[in-house]
Amino acid sequence: MKYNNGVYSLTLKTQLFQYHEKNSHLVDFADFKMPLWYEGVGPECLAVRNNVGIFDISHMGRTFVSGPDAEAFLNYVTTNNVTTLRSNHAQYTLLCNSEGGIKDDLVIFKLGDSQYLVVFNAGNREKDFNWIQKNSKDYKVELKEASNETAMISIQGPKALATVQKLTTTNLSETIRFDCMFAEISGKECILSRTGYTGEDGVEISIMNASVNDPSKAVELWEDILKAGKDYKIKPCGLGARDVLRLEAGMCLYGNDITESTNPSEARLGFVVKVDKGNFIGKEAIIRKKEDGIKIKRVGLRVIGKGIPRAKCKIIKNSENIGTITSGTYSPLLNLGIAMGYVPIEHSNEGNKVSIEVHGKLIDAEIVGFPFYDPKIYGVKRNS
Amino acid sequence: MKINDYEVPEGLFYTKEHTWIKVEDDKCRVGITDYAQKALHEVVFVELPNVDSKVEHMKPAGTLESVKAVSDFFSPVSGDIIEVNTSLPDNPERVNETPYGDGWVAIIKPSNLDQELSALMDANKYGDFLKTIIEQK
Repeated sequence: MKYNNGVYSLTLKTQLFQYHEKNSHLVDFADFKMPLWYEGVGPECLAVRNNVGIFDISHMGRTFVSGPDAEAFLNYVTTNNVTTLRSNHAQYTLLCNSEGGIKDDLVIFKLGDSQYLVVFNAGNREKDFNWIQKNSKDYKVELKEASNETAMISIQGPKALATVQKLTTTNLSETIRFDCMFAEISGKECILSRTGYTGEDGVEISIMNASVNDPSKAVELWEDILKAGKDYKIKPCGLGARDVLRLEAGMCLYGNDITESTNPSEARLGFVVKVDKGNFIGKEAIIRKKEDGIKIKRVGLRVIGKGIPRAKCKIIKNSENIGTITSGTYSPLLNLGIAMGYVPIEHSNEGNKVSIEVHGKLIDAEIVGFPFYDPKIYGVKRNS
Repeated sequence: MKINDYEVPEGLFYTKEHTWIKVEDDKCRVGITDYAQKALHEVVFVELPNVDSKVEHMKPAGTLESVKAVSDFFSPVSGDIIEVNTSLPDNPERVNETPYGDGWVAIIKPSNLDQELSALMDANKYGDFLKTIIEQK
């Protein structure tokens, strides 16, 4: 049972639930009733790649961390180096367990000296908060769980900045990727960041004092952004498009591609594990694993021909089961099946041909790098 | 007839798995209903049964997939597949556009038609069935 909107219920709702109920096809996700799609997964994905899309991501977990030991504490519970994170900037990082397995992937926003916002995956809200709280005893920090008191909206795509710029005096052209700051947007106190989960440039906005019990601020801002993006053909986007877009970009989905038993190096997330900083949870196990040698690796797989690989499909090479698909979908942008999964290092080279077992039949696929799309045409590094 | 947004043509028979069958002399044409295509939304992949293969009443005979969902195609009758809609793999959107027309899935030579047909629903009964599903939502 979850406490939400003043009642205990099996299903949680975000501040924008009424809009979703009226305009979308709903789906159960991580205890929440969320929009799966509004117009359709295909057109919503293309809106983000070509123009701009808006997502309700209020279901994600938000915890403020402050106090004199905030930096030392975050350095202890996460794998990236928080000391190198400057104010008004954000950092992708991991929470690991003591065996070096991934408890969650998350983003830390540094809002000022000893003042941070940590954003977790929706499905890990309670687990993560309890975990960091349990590990905070030796540190002078204050943890404030703010998920139900704030809303979160993501605006993504090549027209995302132009859309949000219409609603704020903060000059977005002076920001770079992963910058974050307090900003007034459409008259509302927000935390704005140049972050996202689509591979495109974009903005994520946490709306302050926007409780699930009084969703008016979140609803107003959502409507204002839809109006501001109208000239750019903005589309509301559901979790269906969110999942396809992050997979096209090669980003992990917690619970599918990374779990408590995944080592960061296997997931190719070693770039956010800084073993040369001080002690942190999981450090010894991660170093030991690296010395023993990493045996499997997360790879991208692009289907040759038709067929759509899905999670749990087997990866086959020379009649031998060499691995498993962890995420798979149809890409409306590329018009083919794409997936990620784990294979032994010796099979992980780009260009290697494998088969994937889909509905009992083998389909051909090729190991490819991330992102799946041409980065010169789509995504943050596109030639604009 | 129309139940809410869903077309339910007279003269066809229907299954609880939202597939339809049209008897054409000694053969049967089969496909998925308007309700099924709207529930799947955006069909992007169709795996057809093999011609000459045998199918069984209410057993999977092919797959339809949208971006986010996979759905088995449940054959309304038993028999031999004598033709499949070979245009669907390259044009899966036809299932959404005309589920009772160009979006048909296969033609079956039935082996036990009379008995199996009596277990299916006519348009009126399927319409009532849809109403109960819609009410439950």
